[in-house]
Amino acid sequence: MTGAAPAAEAPPIDGSARPFLPRGVRLKFCEVRKSWFLLAPERALKLDQTGVAVLQAVDGERDFDAITAHLAAAFNAPHDRIAADAGRFLAALIARRMVETA
Amino acid sequence: MAWTAPMIDEVTCGMEVNMYFPAED
Repeated sequence: MTGAAPAAEAPPIDGSARPFLPRGVRLKFCEVRKSWFLLAPERALKLDQTGVAVLQAVDGERDFDAITAHLAAAFNAPHDRIAADAGRFLAALIARRMVETA
Repeated sequence: MAWTAPMIDEVTCGMEVNMYFPAED
């Protein structure tokens, strides 16, 4: 499948799981395209603003509950909705091995 | 900025990936 796609369904993330970017995966702003990308060796995912916000909150220290609480406050949005959306997003990245959890 | 469900846009062309993001490290 090509182009923009909603994050695929995957098992939900446990609230106490601590997501982190594995070695070799990094968040990078491309000046040429004025867009954020999640880069891994030979792979790149273009991100939208909320995707970037989620990954900027993924610091390896915060657990998923803390990340969703942070985003709910930052976006003034319902915690349950953020948890569902961010959970699907991170689960799709975990399926691609671009995020891991501790 | 309003919250919207994050979307993933896969860059599918390997040459394009390498052109914009050559291995740095």
